[in-house]
Amino acid sequence: MEIAIPLANELEVRISEAFCIFDIHGDKYIDTRNVGNVLRFLGCVPTEKEVNQVIAATESAENPGETHLQKFMAHLSPLLMDRKMEPASAEQILAAFEVLDPENKRFLTKEYFGKLMKEEGEQFNDDEMKAMWRVAIDPITENVPYVFYINQLKHKTTIYDVAEVLKEELASNDKEKKKERNPMP
Amino acid sequence: MLRSCVCLQNGGSGKRRSSSVEDASSCRSSEIERVGASMQTTTLGSNGQPQTLTPPTSTRASSLLQLFQRKGWCKHFRKPLRGMSATRAEKTIRAAIFIQKWYRRHQARQEMRKRCNWQIFQNVEYACEQDQAELYKFFNDLIKHMPQAIEAGNKGQTSKQSIGPEKSATLYEETGEMARIQLELPIQKKHIDLMIDVFRKKRGNRLHPKYVCMILREAAKCLKQMPNLWMVSTAVSQQVTICGDLHGKLDDLLVVLYKNGLPSASNPYVFNGDFVDRGKRGLEVLLLLLSLYLAFPNAVFLNRGNHEDSVMNARYGFIREVEGKYPRNHKRLLSLIDEVYRWLPLGSILNNRVLIVHGGFSDTTNLDLIKSIDRGKYVSILRPPLMDGEALEKAEWQQIFDIMWSDPQASQGCKPNALRGAGVWFGPDTTELFLKRHRLSYVIRSHECKPNGHEFMHDNKVITIFSASNYYAMGSNKGAYMRLNNQLVPHFVQYISAASQTKELSFKQRMGIVECAALKELAVRMREHRDELEADFKKYDPDDSGCITISKWCFVMENVTKLGLPWRLLRDKLAPGTDSQCVNYVRTLDLLDTDVIMEAEADGTSVMDALYANKASLETIFNIIDADHSGEITLDEFEKAIDLLVAHMPGVYSKDEMLEKCRMMDLNGDGKVDLNEFLEAFRLSDLSRKEQQEEYLRKRSTCQRPSESVTRLADTISRNTLVVEHDIDPTDCEAKVVGQKS
Repeated sequence: MEIAIPLANELEVRISEAFCIFDIHGDKYIDTRNVGNVLRFLGCVPTEKEVNQVIAATESAENPGETHLQKFMAHLSPLLMDRKMEPASAEQILAAFEVLDPENKRFLTKEYFGKLMKEEGEQFNDDEMKAMWRVAIDPITENVPYVFYINQLKHKTTIYDVAEVLKEELASNDKEKKKERNPMP
Repeated sequence: MLRSCVCLQNGGSGKRRSSSVEDASSCRSSEIERVGASMQTTTLGSNGQPQTLTPPTSTRASSLLQLFQRKGWCKHFRKPLRGMSATRAEKTIRAAIFIQKWYRRHQARQEMRKRCNWQIFQNVEYACEQDQAELYKFFNDLIKHMPQAIEAGNKGQTSKQSIGPEKSATLYEETGEMARIQLELPIQKKHIDLMIDVFRKKRGNRLHPKYVCMILREAAKCLKQMPNLWMVSTAVSQQVTICGDLHGKLDDLLVVLYKNGLPSASNPYVFNGDFVDRGKRGLEVLLLLLSLYLAFPNAVFLNRGNHEDSVMNARYGFIREVEGKYPRNHKRLLSLIDEVYRWLPLGSILNNRVLIVHGGFSDTTNLDLIKSIDRGKYVSILRPPLMDGEALEKAEWQQIFDIMWSDPQASQGCKPNALRGAGVWFGPDTTELFLKRHRLSYVIRSHECKPNGHEFMHDNKVITIFSASNYYAMGSNKGAYMRLNNQLVPHFVQYISAASQTKELSFKQRMGIVECAALKELAVRMREHRDELEADFKKYDPDDSGCITISKWCFVMENVTKLGLPWRLLRDKLAPGTDSQCVNYVRTLDLLDTDVIMEAEADGTSVMDALYANKASLETIFNIIDADHSGEITLDEFEKAIDLLVAHMPGVYSKDEMLEKCRMMDLNGDGKVDLNEFLEAFRLSDLSRKEQQEEYLRKRSTCQRPSESVTRLADTISRNTLVVEHDIDPTDCEAKVVGQKS
């Protein structure tokens, strides 16, 4: 709030808005533990590994444990323009669930799904598990009707479109510059 | 078969989950949550069938039930990947990661909503504090530019700052219900029990004003004997309890006393300031704390906070509370309260090792200097301590400010606290130097609301403790108190008061309440800039279509309010019913004009209201402007002051308006303004401002009605922010002990 960082384009405005929610003091620093939240709120769907990569790339050298907006924007903008960490379609998530449901019962048991989330892949901790059950479980059958669950997880993302627009703008600017430097005879 | 199904047995602790990252997107979330939470205690019935809470009602559900009863689904509860081929296992893991990352994004959105609400509350609160702090800076500047104000030997001094309350003034009888108890000095435990019993009730909880006066007067008398910093020791008690901000939350104070016991030689307490303002029971909290101090003088240590200050109380509700409760005696009571404030010590030192102050410290804080100050000079911390021409020790004034208003920050360095407008932000390096210089182990402070009631910073050297639960809204945060053992190792007890009221609600409802409360506060704050907003919106809408782009809308909002909020996230709340391409700003303005927001605004106090209500501040301004102490100010003297006033309170009055005001003030037309004319002018201009507003409202109400989505939102806000008073039941709390950090 007090320290103004110039925002060059719409993409940076969006990133900055999501970032600054976690900026408690208005000094454009956030706790690195919130980087994942910022990415996800913007609309990206990174794996934990990808989040850690972003943290490592953007963590402040002068203030470890903190991330500064400038560095974050500089690192993230090209990633967004490259469509990294982009959300997949609903069909792809459905396909993932179907891998887990070979008998095609259209639901998973709480036991199986719980164990999988807790023990495999990028495991959920206790808090994440508890919070997940609120979304995932059908209280009547006590199973995970994953088609319904998928509908709870879908959210519209526009950040990649914004990134695309910027990418095109930059590309056409480059073309203009090239033309200026090498004018056609 | 079903007997061996692990998932249906009594798993988990069956305890209700404490508030953390939660979700509310499902339309059946309340049902899901309720059943989901109780699911862990689902048991097997005697016939081996699982007992569920509700019978399967839909045919789909019952066919699924049959499905898993029939087929051998139990194999799924063996370790998921055992017995699979390598590629299949790989695929499964990849699927798991895929699902996990999707789920985490969903959770992040919920976390975001929570943060957003929190940020609204905090930024609006601090922006208001900034206004108050502006007053402090204004005074500073005024004094700097008018050094003659500090001359000794003035005549006809009208300042009332140094005069204590008259002892012979009569008390008037109040109308309405009054508690029938009788109190007398010395205050003892039995009186405390009586008082708690009275204050607990939602009706008939007022003491007779004579007892209020008695407690206030006696407390001020005793506090005056105390040094600037309490010296607290655990030598006898082997432990000590520290409480942070209470802000008029009597229910929280009663929870603490209930869970932790009344003070005694073996159970000492330190209360770290901010007893009043914002909450509705500030007077009861203050009286109870002072009574506890009088009853157990060696076991209760009260530190002054930045809200123990009549200038703050004028803005943040305590003065209104006292006016409302004792309409015929409030002036007398408030002046007695001022006496208590000025004699409240400024902090405590525990076992010579731990400093306990309300805000924090700066790189120039000097405890020896603080110990030597004549603290009685500072009736209000925001107003310069001009007393009969004594020289103003600005450095001294700054010292007090810093310990009352500062906040810790994560990054290094020490810089002025721009968020609050006063005090500093101090970094870990400042902490280290400060502790070393004063040979201390760590610092305990309050001043900032934390979701869990407490927070460690600076490598555990700075601990924040905040004791007002549900501070911003029901369900917004927990409160906590700290207990230190003889080695001064802390643990915390977190709680929410009136817990049953929150537990009855689903997560979605709770979120809704906090969100509505946040919106209401934000909308009230936005009203202060309503005309400016309208003008700026129209600037970007040349066709007068009523719509502008999202980016422009966000830009205007931030440019005018300067609140640093995520406007894009708030768009669909503040301009309800608009689509994703543009924003119908008329709806934003309409929202500000709805009854619920206008009523909330009337309930609060603006800067100018507060300024006027604080006569002493106006007098001080007058006395400073009156550079030659003639008892009157000339246009010349006033013009100098206007420049400063306009610089500090932009948007309130322009220079021409102020000059005009001065001419208007000269009621008897002799070219000069005396104190009475000065005060009268403020009252009149305040009156005319209110009349203008009413006129404006009358005009608007004859225009078109607001859109349906705005009306709907206003109704929701109104419903969700309705507060119902109950008797206080301190046992109705959800307390949890939290161990120390290693």
